[in-house]
Amino acid sequence: MLVDFELIQNAQRGDAAAFNQIVSAYRRRILGTISRLIGRPEDVEDVAQEVFIRLFYSLEQLRTAEVFEPWLYRLTVNASYDYLRKNRRRQESRMADLSEQQVMMADAAAGSRAQSDDFERRRVRDTVADLLSSVSEEDRILLTLKEVEGLSLKELERIYHVNENALKVRLFRARQRVLKNMKEVTGSPAKTAPTGEAE
Amino acid sequence: MMSDRLMADWDERESRLDELFRAYVDACPAPEPGANFMPGIWAGIEAREASRNIFGRMAKTLVTAALATSVILMLLVSIDSDRGFSGTFVQALTADNVSQLEPFHLDRISEMEQQ
Repeated sequence: MLVDFELIQNAQRGDAAAFNQIVSAYRRRILGTISRLIGRPEDVEDVAQEVFIRLFYSLEQLRTAEVFEPWLYRLTVNASYDYLRKNRRRQESRMADLSEQQVMMADAAAGSRAQSDDFERRRVRDTVADLLSSVSEEDRILLTLKEVEGLSLKELERIYHVNENALKVRLFRARQRVLKNMKEVTGSPAKTAPTGEAE
Repeated sequence: MMSDRLMADWDERESRLDELFRAYVDACPAPEPGANFMPGIWAGIEAREASRNIFGRMAKTLVTAALATSVILMLLVSIDSDRGFSGTFVQALTADNVSQLEPFHLDRISEMEQQ
């Protein structure tokens, strides 16, 4: 745990400085998790702020130190889920929607190495987002927490309050759906390889 | 033969998916919080407090109005009942009609029987 339970108790009593310290301790972790859960860097900060506002209002319900982090993850998951649900139909022009030629032209225009890296990252983000679009928002988040964030089944069990076997089944089904969707979304293996290596 | 190829294809997909997930971590690094991150949180909290206060005040006003209406209605009902008859329905009927009814004489019945 990144903060003492005493600090949380102070925040529960309305100490604004203690709450600020909790936010400072966890904000980078929460920003990183949200970034990977929603895949939209431009909206990460807004969702993270929402998480901490929800934390402020629900802090008084917390009784033990052990549940603080799973509970903060739960708030993060819920806020990310709400964001994804709201933005389900949002139409955005993304690199993955461009033709191969346009992608090459965009890549050439990027010029510098840094821009090329940005382009590659964006392509990976878009490919993963498209792959995960074959599953529901809930499963997308669950799969990301397990496969990308690297959370164990025990940790997921504490976040979701669901037993391990049910989680395993849900994860397996979600992964199968993503795998089925893979060829359709990624096309040729050379295009999908995240490091750019051809198969 | 066919199933072997399908299995190999599936395994290849599995490893490609794992590779993509690993690359996704680098593609979505934790962004640095902006200078307005903390003030933004407090602004959000204050905005919610304000809307809570508005709803709270509205709720209080509604409760007060409901209580006042109940008291007025209770007063009206009690005033109305003071003005009216306080006995039972039968007593009220008797009081209303007793003067109009003839006294009941048993001797008249015996006269009628004799006739």
